[in-house]
Amino acid sequence: MADRRYETLVLFHPEQGEPGAKDLATRIRSLIEDQGGTVSQVLEWGMRDLAYPIGKERRAIYVLFEYRIGVRGLRETERNITLMDPVLRFISVQQAENAPPATLRQQRPPEAEVAESAESEEAPADFEAVEGEGA
Amino acid sequence: MAMRGERGAARPARRRGIGRRKVCRFCADKQMGIDYKDSRTLGTFLSERGKIIPARITGNCARHQRRLTAAIKQARTVALLPYTTVYP
Repeated sequence: MADRRYETLVLFHPEQGEPGAKDLATRIRSLIEDQGGTVSQVLEWGMRDLAYPIGKERRAIYVLFEYRIGVRGLRETERNITLMDPVLRFISVQQAENAPPATLRQQRPPEAEVAESAESEEAPADFEAVEGEGA
Repeated sequence: MAMRGERGAARPARRRGIGRRKVCRFCADKQMGIDYKDSRTLGTFLSERGKIIPARITGNCARHQRRLTAAIKQARTVALLPYTTVYP
């Protein structure tokens, strides 16, 4: 069976904390591998503010998995992820074969960001504001 | 039917108002992909209320508007973008 390239973004409950999220990430990784998938990358975005509350939570830990797997394997992996209690939500998306691997900063290519210095300055300020709100 | 076609063809293209022609931002910059994880770019296509701005206003082409709406909806699923900014 032809494997396809997928990525799954998982939102963990903030109660887990960073170490808990790491454990869960390795668990999901082994889930994927058990189903015959090959994980190419696991990206931890860390704690982020949600755009809207999910189950009374305002923040979540985001982890992105990039892997290749068959359709059946994906279905089974998704089923297993739904069974995990600390997962608030997740999404699996098929990726183009020639798409570049995801980077931690999910923005445009670096040269575009340098050109728009005004925007890159805006980002840290935004982030600080977010931190202040949480405290 | 034929008459109708002729009439349509004879009518000169009208442009109302002045102002420059809008260009699809994604067609203009081929490097700029549409990714559901890129909430900052997608956010520029949302209204203050969190609604998707129509292509009529942003000037996106049909193909890219389709991909954009799909990406925005995916981003909403994982709370990267809001469904609404006014909570019920």
